[in-house]
Amino acid sequence: MSKKEVIEKIAFNVIQGRVESEDEGFDEGFQGQPGVVELVEEALKEETDPRTIVIDGLTKPMEIVGEKFEREEYLIPDMLASAECVGAAMDLLSPHLIKSGVESKGKFVICTVAGDLHDIGKNIVAIMLKGAGYEVLDLGADVPTARIIETVKKERPPFLGLSALLTTTMRIMGDIMEGLEREGLRNTVKVLIGGAPTSQGFARQIGADAHCKDAFEAIHTLKAMTA
Amino acid sequence: MIVIGEKINGSLSKVKAIIRERNAQDLLDLARRQAEAGAGYIDVNVATGEGSADDEVEAMTWAVKALQEEIDTPLSIDSADAGVIEAGLEARNGRPSLINSVNAEPQRLREIVPLASHFEAPLVALAMDETGIPPSVEGRLEACQTIAAACQRAGIRLEHIFFDPLVLPVSADTAQGLVTLEALKAVKQAFVGAKSVLGISNVSYGLPQRAMLNAAFLHMAVFAGLDAAILDPTDARLMAAVRTAEVLTGKDRHCRRYTRFARANR
Repeated sequence: MSKKEVIEKIAFNVIQGRVESEDEGFDEGFQGQPGVVELVEEALKEETDPRTIVIDGLTKPMEIVGEKFEREEYLIPDMLASAECVGAAMDLLSPHLIKSGVESKGKFVICTVAGDLHDIGKNIVAIMLKGAGYEVLDLGADVPTARIIETVKKERPPFLGLSALLTTTMRIMGDIMEGLEREGLRNTVKVLIGGAPTSQGFARQIGADAHCKDAFEAIHTLKAMTA
Repeated sequence: MIVIGEKINGSLSKVKAIIRERNAQDLLDLARRQAEAGAGYIDVNVATGEGSADDEVEAMTWAVKALQEEIDTPLSIDSADAGVIEAGLEARNGRPSLINSVNAEPQRLREIVPLASHFEAPLVALAMDETGIPPSVEGRLEACQTIAAACQRAGIRLEHIFFDPLVLPVSADTAQGLVTLEALKAVKQAFVGAKSVLGISNVSYGLPQRAMLNAAFLHMAVFAGLDAAILDPTDARLMAAVRTAEVLTGKDRHCRRYTRFARANR
């Protein structure tokens, strides 16, 4: 296989959501063929530029996955399987990206707010941002407001992503914005919010910098912010 | 879950005609439909209740050859006659096959176990002996132990044994549903690494709306550790039970089989 073919295969398998060779994939009949992990290892052995692997092998196909999800052709487990592929690939690629001098696009602290245990969407966003070159610090779900403020104070990330899936917990986002203000941190960090009940209007209301409906919008928003 | 498609059975009148007329086209059609619906094995039972033992041997050889010429799905070679099973395995010529079945009867063990060993084929082990189906969990476990011992002596790995704790109609005895489930659990505990199988639809024999009972029983059996089921995979309600049971017990990574099934049955 040529380097290009390996990357095409990685992209194909990200769309199929095949992490390892024993995985079935969205369509039938791929079991036993190399999955993303095996193919990325092969690409690295052939000394393919890790940046090319990320862009052509992971990011572009993941956008296709996003479109399929949008059209409801893909469901949550399909999306998660593809995101898992990107996550597993990034674990293999990270040391090589650092070695080849690829700089992080910045630290991105992400979490689901206090009282809210929903983390599926947040996890997808975290993996996708990793794939897009951000240094992601995932604090998990049900994270107390004080801990979020503390982390922003200590880590000084340029970006903070907040997720809430309940109309009751989305209000916590407002508390976090106030907390950042009070601690004099508001101008040090761009705050992006997301989650089913949130909206553009709500983001404006609490003074967040952006509302993103999914991981892809988050990546585009970040690109626009840093341009 | 391994689904063993039960539709090629000579006791059914349609299949009886197929075998009598050596109608390879219709035989293949039955097999293909089951394979497409998700069968991991196609059971082949050509006992029509007509003709001699030699006729069944010939019919088995014909059926196996006709099927494997067109489809790759492994076959379950099913007969009460060891000679027929041997002919089926012979015709398979090393292709993946399951022997259906052995039980704890000494004569049956003497005939079938060497075949499993010689052809290196997995086999279904029915939890019964020469006195019939033991009514209690202990009795069924004992029958399985007898078979396991014979298999061990022949060098057959536990992973190659599909213990069938047997399903009896609850219409005749409502205690039997639980006996099967408890026996299944006991077998899975006693023989770590061995597989288990059940002929699900027997549970509902003699009752109305059988699909409801079959689906519910399958769910319970999967929770108790069932690895394989002999059933009609073209029955969408039963396959729905298989796919839902798998995904709910963590046996369907990324929900692949369930979502694929749901797409196909939209």
